[in-house]
Amino acid sequence: MTNNSLVDATWALAHLDDAKVVFIEVDEDIQAYAANHIKNAIALNWQSDLQDAVRRDFVNKEQFSALLSAKGVSNDDTVILYGGNNNWFAAYAFWYFKLYGHGDVRLLDGGRKKWELDGRELVSEVPTRAATKYVAKEQDLSIRSFRDDVLNAIGTKNLVDVRSPDEYAGRLLAPAHLPQEAARIGGHIPTAANIPWSKAANDDGSFKSIAELKALYEGAGVDLNKETIAYCRIGERSAHSWFVLHELLGVKNVSNYDGSWTEYGSLVGVPVAVGDEPGAA
Amino acid sequence: MSGCGAVVGGVSLDNVDVKTQSVIQGVVSQNDAPASVGYVRLLDKNDEFVAEVPVSKQGEFRFFAAPGNWTVVTLIPGATNRTPVSAALGKIVDLEIVIS
Repeated sequence: MTNNSLVDATWALAHLDDAKVVFIEVDEDIQAYAANHIKNAIALNWQSDLQDAVRRDFVNKEQFSALLSAKGVSNDDTVILYGGNNNWFAAYAFWYFKLYGHGDVRLLDGGRKKWELDGRELVSEVPTRAATKYVAKEQDLSIRSFRDDVLNAIGTKNLVDVRSPDEYAGRLLAPAHLPQEAARIGGHIPTAANIPWSKAANDDGSFKSIAELKALYEGAGVDLNKETIAYCRIGERSAHSWFVLHELLGVKNVSNYDGSWTEYGSLVGVPVAVGDEPGAA
Repeated sequence: MSGCGAVVGGVSLDNVDVKTQSVIQGVVSQNDAPASVGYVRLLDKNDEFVAEVPVSKQGEFRFFAAPGNWTVVTLIPGATNRTPVSAALGKIVDLEIVIS
């Protein structure tokens, strides 16, 4: 599947040497990029590059501008994002680039996993790109939700929890590739529907067809004419679901709550639901 | 803030209190050698995706699950494998997954 926000391997292979197309691998753990990566791809670290070093927030507009300038990315470049973890962090970066108003940004369908499973070439050479003068825009807050937005959405807007059913119910506190932390409560925001991100993806990490994606959300009883807020644990899996809704299905009134469960599950005095049912407002 | 990313082979058990965890780990091999390229995913009792890690160069993977029944699905170029497994608190389940 390809559209203005998604490219496949065929498209990628035809543009690996295009100077105005910048491939960027985005992971949390950059060991994968250091070992090998798609030819001419540069790397962004989800945490050290995109998160403020002190506060829990993003780097600001000036810092993002400086980051992309140093990486050699121009405002008029086509940015192709891909990564591991079924493109979770690449989708997060996509949403982040949109937040700061980058013009042409797209995801590589299936990310690193599909590329590897298809036996495509990965290289170890790190490209050099001349520094640019990138200028980010003000954040587009129509695609970002905060905790008060979420509290006000209970019972009035769609809340979509895209974590696994066991995390939604409170039986697991984190994805099972991570140690299960003990200090944070489990559960979900009352009224949130549980539509795991994984239902939108094939085993190889590529997105399911548009028809399948529509059926997924309609089958879960989500009225996409209402405003929708997606969340997960730290906002990257929900960026993947935001991508599905906003970029593939064309739903405009959808935002990502990047504070997600690590913030909401630590708030004092807010309602929490446990178990497999959404719970009442 | 810790992230959600899966590290190659899974998180080390160093500094992890195994008594509080339900660990499922193992090694994937093919043709008598570790599978160095592949992904291992954990499905819950309803076959829902829970987590996934890339295998290490030695074919290793590790999950921190909860007590109960799970399925470990291995994806390597051109082949898949499904292995049912039961996890228990404080126990480490070691799997040897051989892809034919």
